[in-house]
Amino acid sequence: MATIVQAVNLKKTYLLGKVPVEALRGVNLKVENGDFLAVLGPSGSGKSTLLNLIGALDKPTEGKMLIEGVDVSTLNDNQLADLRRRIGFVFQFFNLIPRFTARVNVELSMAISGLAKAERRKRAEDLLATVGLKERMNHKPTELSGGEQQRVAIARALVNNPKFLLMDEPTGNIDSKAASDILRLVKGVNEEKGVTIIMVTHDQRLASQAKRMVQMFDGLIIQEKVN
Amino acid sequence: MKAGDIFSYSFSAIRLRKLRAGLTTLGVVIGIAAIVALLSITQGLQNTITVQLQKGFATDTLIVSTGRGGGLGTEGAMGAVDSGFKLLVNDTQTINEIENVEMSMAIIQKVGYVKFDERVRTTTIVGVDFAKYANIYSSTFVNETGEIPLNPENETVVVGKRVSDPWKNGTLLCNVNDTVEIIWTNPTARPPKNETYTGHVTAVLKEVGGFGVGGPSDSSVYIPISQAQSFFGTDECDMIIVKLENDDEATIESVSEAISNAFSEQVSVMSSTAVLNILSSVFSIIELFLAGIAAISLLVAGIGIMNIMIVSLMERTREIGILKALGMKSRTVLLVFLSESVIIGLIGAAIGIASGWGLANVVAIAFRGGGTFIGNQAARTAGGMTITPVLTPMVFLGALAFGVGVSVVFALYPAWRASKLKPVEALRYE
Repeated sequence: MATIVQAVNLKKTYLLGKVPVEALRGVNLKVENGDFLAVLGPSGSGKSTLLNLIGALDKPTEGKMLIEGVDVSTLNDNQLADLRRRIGFVFQFFNLIPRFTARVNVELSMAISGLAKAERRKRAEDLLATVGLKERMNHKPTELSGGEQQRVAIARALVNNPKFLLMDEPTGNIDSKAASDILRLVKGVNEEKGVTIIMVTHDQRLASQAKRMVQMFDGLIIQEKVN
Repeated sequence: MKAGDIFSYSFSAIRLRKLRAGLTTLGVVIGIAAIVALLSITQGLQNTITVQLQKGFATDTLIVSTGRGGGLGTEGAMGAVDSGFKLLVNDTQTINEIENVEMSMAIIQKVGYVKFDERVRTTTIVGVDFAKYANIYSSTFVNETGEIPLNPENETVVVGKRVSDPWKNGTLLCNVNDTVEIIWTNPTARPPKNETYTGHVTAVLKEVGGFGVGGPSDSSVYIPISQAQSFFGTDECDMIIVKLENDDEATIESVSEAISNAFSEQVSVMSSTAVLNILSSVFSIIELFLAGIAAISLLVAGIGIMNIMIVSLMERTREIGILKALGMKSRTVLLVFLSESVIIGLIGAAIGIASGWGLANVVAIAFRGGGTFIGNQAARTAGGMTITPVLTPMVFLGALAFGVGVSVVFALYPAWRASKLKPVEALRYE
């Protein structure tokens, strides 16, 4: 299987005010195509920082972040934007745009990629039906439950046929019933469509559903386990 | 991202905050409306005055008056500097000898009164040679009623339309065949005293509808030049009107110079072309000045746009983070913000041009109406004039471009800041 994501001795230091904080202190990680990886760890262990680096939202202080063999640090602003279009991001707080309906939110990421309107609409409707929101697609985020909003976000992340899906605590902000629905959906996407998934969570139960999990602590990966 | 999608995205952001966007747009509307209204009224006024001037001032005539150099408004006909030089009625003989001069005639005019049936009205008493005057101003020195005699008696009086019918309602102060008293206060007598003689109205002029420079005016009374000489007790004339054989630029110039030389540059020679040139340069200064004042309000509007854009940028930091995480390029973020300002600028300019044009017309109508009932001297002068506001394509396009331009310029900085946001930090922003 091809390696899609590879972190080599990855280090990231933030300045919190004037105090440097070492969020990552040398992380090595490999993710193969089709994998479902859970990144587990307490808050402050550096898992969100790792996810931002994999998602090309940020650049490492040291080390290399390779996406399909390309070092992210060498890309310019426009190339990074192009790369992000092929990465599906799902956030803890959904990050939908409140003034748009579910359908338009899903269409937005396709509009950014420059797809034609008719094509956008069809794909958004198909995907929203897949995530079980066929009847709710013309509602705005404020009219949707947390679980429904997260499903819209997943549809938005999948709509550009991403190389992989990055999920940052996707169930952290919704009730447990909706959370298990989301997890079932995510597993289905991974197993049936073969989409690579990297999911950050601090929920042991959720992580055990993934194919593989890594445990982070204090900016380092301290344990790797295949479920 | 496609241009259409960028615009509809920006439009959705504007629609979200209707009141705020509306108030921002209002700033542009006021600025543009002020510019359009002021410029179209000024343009209309200039057109009116030009037309009036051309009516009362034939292009193939020159006006010679005392005072050195200059034309209208310097030391010419209006407020001549007293250099001791006097232009006399028989100086026309000197002028007649100049090449290309068809004829010339002297005018003596004084402010005086006409009295009829105990009603007294201020007027300008103008002494002219009726035959020559009618020849030069063949379209304006024309009788409406009565007859303008070419060899008038001493008592003959021809009155302007506003002297006969000052209130424009048919209530006549005097009419043909009436006997009026012509009064002039002689300031050189000690003590000053009123000179009076009884005149006989033989004609009322057709309405001229303007102010003539040298030419007939609605508010004057005309008496024979010889009568004026003896009544005012002087041979000194106020101006000499010269009729040229043609109205070529070269003729006007050569005759002007010859006249100047003949009177050792003690006179000013005015041509209608020169007056119109001066007039149009005066008007362009006025226009520039007014547009400048209006532009200040647009500048304030621009600062308002910048302010609102920065607030909007702060509020939408997280949204920008989302857009960037979805793969929007920095340049596209810049364009999203700029196109918001273009939309505000376009809508503002469009409404501004429409309301400015409306305002100009309202002012023009008020001005037209005002002339009839205010009844003071200024309004009476303006009474005959109507201003038709003019919206030139230049002003239209200029206002549109200026409105959009100001909006975009002031949005540049906020848009640039938005485009420079780092996605991770923007997403973390609460």
